[in-house]
Amino acid sequence: MQGPRFTRILRDITAVLVVGIFMFPIFWWGLTSIKPISAIFNKDEVVFFDFEPTLVNYQVVLFGKSRAELAIESGSTFGVGGGSTYDSRKTILDSTLVAVGSTALTVFLGVIAAYALSRINFRGRQAYLNWILSQRFMPPIAIIVPIVFMYHYAGLRDTITGLIFIHTLINLPIAVLLMKSFFDDVPVDVDEAAMLDGATRFQIFRKVILPLVTGGVAATAVLCFVFSWTEFLLSLFLTNQIRTLPVKISTFVTSTGSEWGFISALGTSAIVPSFIFILLVQKQLVRGLTLGSLKD
Amino acid sequence: MASVTVKDIRKTYGDLEVIHGLNLEIEDGAFVVLLGPSGCGKSTLLRMIAGLEPITHGEISIGGQVVNDLHPKDRNIAMVFQNYALYAHMKVFENMAFSMRLKKTPQAEIEKKVNWAAEILNLVPYLNRQPKQLSGGQRQRVAMGRAIVRNPQVFLFDEPLSNLDAKLRVQMRTEIKELHQRLKTTTVYVTHDQIEAMTMADRIVILRDGYIEQIGAPMEVYNRPANLFVAEFIGSPGINLVRGEVAAENGAPVLRAEGIAIPLPTAAKLAPGQKIVYGIRPEHLVPAHGGAGIPAKVSVVEPTGPEMHIYTDLAGTEVCAVSRDHLDYGPGQDIRLSPMLDQVHLFDQESGKAIGR
Repeated sequence: MQGPRFTRILRDITAVLVVGIFMFPIFWWGLTSIKPISAIFNKDEVVFFDFEPTLVNYQVVLFGKSRAELAIESGSTFGVGGGSTYDSRKTILDSTLVAVGSTALTVFLGVIAAYALSRINFRGRQAYLNWILSQRFMPPIAIIVPIVFMYHYAGLRDTITGLIFIHTLINLPIAVLLMKSFFDDVPVDVDEAAMLDGATRFQIFRKVILPLVTGGVAATAVLCFVFSWTEFLLSLFLTNQIRTLPVKISTFVTSTGSEWGFISALGTSAIVPSFIFILLVQKQLVRGLTLGSLKD
Repeated sequence: MASVTVKDIRKTYGDLEVIHGLNLEIEDGAFVVLLGPSGCGKSTLLRMIAGLEPITHGEISIGGQVVNDLHPKDRNIAMVFQNYALYAHMKVFENMAFSMRLKKTPQAEIEKKVNWAAEILNLVPYLNRQPKQLSGGQRQRVAMGRAIVRNPQVFLFDEPLSNLDAKLRVQMRTEIKELHQRLKTTTVYVTHDQIEAMTMADRIVILRDGYIEQIGAPMEVYNRPANLFVAEFIGSPGINLVRGEVAAENGAPVLRAEGIAIPLPTAAKLAPGQKIVYGIRPEHLVPAHGGAGIPAKVSVVEPTGPEMHIYTDLAGTEVCAVSRDHLDYGPGQDIRLSPMLDQVHLFDQESGKAIGR
């Protein structure tokens, strides 16, 4: 039959195209990071592979070499910038600490709050849920000034802890709502069965319900991590010395020009930790999706 | 094993009372089925016995001990849920062992008990599987295994077969009954399926809107329904009901309905002009030969194999007759039906209560 085969080919082509569209910017970014300046700034033609690959950008952002040093090492003159440093190793560490910390805190708080909202019937539960949701309506820019003052007086400005707190604050509503829907999917009968089996409320949560929603926990963690990893505005306002990756990258755009080579090298490096994180939770993610329904 | 006593139990949600003072005595070792349509309060009653639902008023005792304020886990009961409520992340063995693990029972004893239960329920080959690798019937058996390893005083079943397909349901019905005969544990079983109730119960408790309509052995409830509701709820195909007025014809009492006269049993205490409902089960209504019987018109004939269900139009009412003989009736044909007079149920039209019983 021609029909189904044609459809199949069409489907494969579409899949490849879609993946290509999504992957191309990442590929281009990675490619840019190993291009010499001449290839990045070639306005006559688009350079794909016709260049001499270089690790100069990585040496600058990841190994703390200044351009002047590199120029001396290679014995050539190497554009502008002179002796200023673009070392970003501490940035990557800070960003990792903030993202892991805020993810852990968000998931911890979100999971226990969501369990309570899903299972315990208390007065004003619906209002409480709506209130949590309303926190998500709030654009961070609207509250940034008061938050800067609060942070200043609380001594949280320019601290890792402060960033962990603010990212947790922003992520918590979505984490609670997401986790609640995962808990809601587990029939209450399971809690009751465990209760009759002699489990306490905490044992039910810890030994029965939580293992059933690991997929949801993983999904929530990924969302929180990616948010924190890419969050720019709050980090920009609340830090001077500590710089998260998005803020650090923005400093490469200066009044005298943008350092596209460094930006792309740091951007490409920034993919690695989040990639590792998602790889780590991916097993749980898939497991959670297939464990799913208890009935059928 | 223990008896269960329900004394003047009421349940209200806010201003809404859903159970209105039920009294029920369940003897030690009995298999009692709570039967009724959805919303009749049968599950609520079961959940109150289990301790999953607070009791608004009244007293429930298990084995002579009032359990109102006892936590579910201290009531020594086990419950099987409609959707099995298995711990999906644990293997079958661990599902059954869970309650003992919580009690820190020694491993050797856990193994002994789980294996004992698995043998009874034919689950031995599946102990190392995940619940999702099992069929619906096997899952329900795991849920029962989880209940029996605890050796509870009372088993509670909350519509355990509703999620199974028809064939499996019949099979599991027998298995549950066998299990009860073997373990002799007091069992309270909730269902809306009257066939389940009839086939499994020692005693059926029929509930409607939070009231008990009748309590009795299956055949007692079937043969002597206390009121119209019970008569209609039990039996498939359902009882035939004809509304009419009592009259006398040639000195014998008859029911007048839509211009026809149906003979009434002479023993019944009836006053002429009394408005009654005449009930007869399909198997007690037989197609008559010759001129005898009540005239009706065949509308649908359903052969089921062992018997034939003949649906007829009798004075504007749909009436079903069941015959074991293979009769050759077709739609539109005239038929004469003859009721067995000693099997007639009469109810008061207003109150719905059975008359003369």
